[in-house]
Amino acid sequence: MDIVTVLYFKEMKCDSGAPHKKERDRFLLSAGHKCLAQYAVLAEKGYFPKPYLDTYGSLGTILPGHPDMNKLPGIEANTGALGHGLAIAVGMAMGIRLDEGDSRVYVIMGDGELAEGSNWEAIAAAAHYKLSNLCVFVDFNGLQISGRVQDIMNFTPFKERFEAFGWNVITIDGHDMKQIVEALEMARVAVDRPTVIVAHTIKGKGIPFLEGKAASHFWSPNEGELDEAVKSIKIKAGLQEGKGYDW
Amino acid sequence: MIGNFEDPRKTFGEEVCRIALENRKIVLLSADSGRSSGFGSFMDKCPERYFEFGIMEQTMTGAASGLASTGKIPVICAIASFITARNYEMFRNDIGYMRQNVKIVGRNGGITYSDLGTTHHSLDDFGLIGMIPGVVVLAPQDPNEIREAVRAMLKYEGPVYMRIGNEKQENLFESGFEIGKARHICHGEDVTLISAGSMTANAVKACRKLNERDISVEHLGISTLIPLDCDAILESAARTGFVVTVEEHYTEGGLGNKVGELLATEGCPAELIKLAIPHDYCISGPYSEVLAYYELDADSIAARIEQDFKGVYF
Repeated sequence: MDIVTVLYFKEMKCDSGAPHKKERDRFLLSAGHKCLAQYAVLAEKGYFPKPYLDTYGSLGTILPGHPDMNKLPGIEANTGALGHGLAIAVGMAMGIRLDEGDSRVYVIMGDGELAEGSNWEAIAAAAHYKLSNLCVFVDFNGLQISGRVQDIMNFTPFKERFEAFGWNVITIDGHDMKQIVEALEMARVAVDRPTVIVAHTIKGKGIPFLEGKAASHFWSPNEGELDEAVKSIKIKAGLQEGKGYDW
Repeated sequence: MIGNFEDPRKTFGEEVCRIALENRKIVLLSADSGRSSGFGSFMDKCPERYFEFGIMEQTMTGAASGLASTGKIPVICAIASFITARNYEMFRNDIGYMRQNVKIVGRNGGITYSDLGTTHHSLDDFGLIGMIPGVVVLAPQDPNEIREAVRAMLKYEGPVYMRIGNEKQENLFESGFEIGKARHICHGEDVTLISAGSMTANAVKACRKLNERDISVEHLGISTLIPLDCDAILESAARTGFVVTVEEHYTEGGLGNKVGELLATEGCPAELIKLAIPHDYCISGPYSEVLAYYELDADSIAARIEQDFKGVYF
C-alpha cells in the first residue's frame, strides 16, 4: 500500500484523464492479488468513481479479485497468475526504449512469487537487455498463503541473487515513505541495468491483530473487525480526514 | 508457381522480413530460433527490432505482450510444441486475455520433426490454442498461402497463432487465402473431404484418385481452424451426407472434433470419418514413413475413404 501510494502520488507520470497516454509511466502488479491497494489508489487518483469500490466482489464488477485491463482504466496487465508481470514489464521497457521514450516501468512482485521459474527468465532478460528504465519492488514480507516463505521454498538472499544476475539492488524498509522515495531516486540514475528494491514489509501492517500473520493473506473481516482495522490504520498513520502524507 | 516446392520456414521468414523492413511497428522475437525461422536477413539488416531471448519461451511470450502494449506488432517464431505448450499460460493470459496484437508462429508443426520424438511433435496445438478465446488459428496449406497468411495476420488486429511445417511443400494454389474462409478446391456430390494445413497436399492427390474411382469428392481446404468456416462445411455436408476430415493433429481437439461438434449441434445428418494421428505418443522415423504408418499418405487417405464410403452406401 505504501509503495503503491508513493508510485502514484509522488513518482510516476500518470494522468487519470488520459490513462493510455503514450508518455505515461507504467505500473504492473505482478502479484495481482494485491490489487485492492491499487484499486484504492486508482480511485483516489480519479481513474474511476470511488463508489465503484463498493462493487468489489459483486456480479459483473470492474474490480475483480485480480486486475483486468480491459475492465478498468489504469490497469496495464492482467496479472493474477504469478510469474507473469515481470516478463510483460520487460517487453514494455523494450518497446519504450525502442521508441526512445523516457517513460519508466514499475513492478511490484511478491517474495513468495519468486519461486515461479519464469521470473528468473525475466530477471535474466532484463539484465541482458540492460533495461535501466525498469524498476521492480519485491514486497519482502516473508509470508505466503500457507506459511513462511523461507520454509516453503527459500529464495533468499534476494540481494545477492539479483546482484548475481546483474541488477542494481537497493534494500529498504518498505513502510518508510522517505526510504521508498530515495530508493526510487537512486533507481532513476542507474546506468545500463534494471533496479530491484527489496522492500522489507510486514504483512497486515497497521492492523495489530493481523500483522505478521500468513492468515491475513486471504482475510475477510466481520463488521467489528473492519471497524477496528480502519481505526488502527488511521491511528498508526497519524491521519486525519483531509490530511495527506508528509513525504 | 503452381507445382513448385518450397521450404515453408524460408517462405515464411522471407515474407515476414520483407514486410518488417517496411513496417517499423513490427518486431521479431526469437527463442534461439531466429535463423531457422527464416529471420536471418532481418537480424542482419535491422538488429534493433530483433530480440533474441534464448531458450526462454515463457518470458519471450510475456515480453511480446509488453511490446504489443507499446504499439509494436511482435512476431514470434519457434518450434510449435515449445511455443504453444511450454508457454501456454503466458499465451492464454498475456496474449489472449490481454487481447494483444501478437503473432505466434509454430514452425516444424505436427509431426514434421518426425524423427526427433514425441517431445518435438505438436499434435495438440489446434486444440490447445483453439481453447484460448479470441485467438485466430491458421494453418496455411501451401507456400503461396503462407505468404498470403503472413500478410493477412500482420494486417489483422489481434492475437494470431499460425502453424507451419518444415518439409518442402508444393504450391497448390495461386492465391485466394482469406482468414476464416474455406477454399473450395473441387466440387463433388458423394463425399465432403475437409483437409487442414499441410495435409491438404495429400488430400488433393487422394481426391484425384477417388474421382478416378467414380466417387465424387467435394474438397474443402481449411487454412483457418479458428474461426472455422461453418457455413461452407454445413452446406457441403448437408448435400453429401458423408464427411471426412484429414489433419496432422490428434484425432481429439482439432479439425475433426470441431467439424463433429458443428454437425451435431446444427443437426446435420452426416457420417463423419476423422483421419488424423491417434491420441497416443507418436512413433518416430522419416516423415513420409510416419505419415504412411498413420495412413495419412495420399494412397491411404483414398483407400480409407473408398472403403468407408462403400461400407456405408453399398
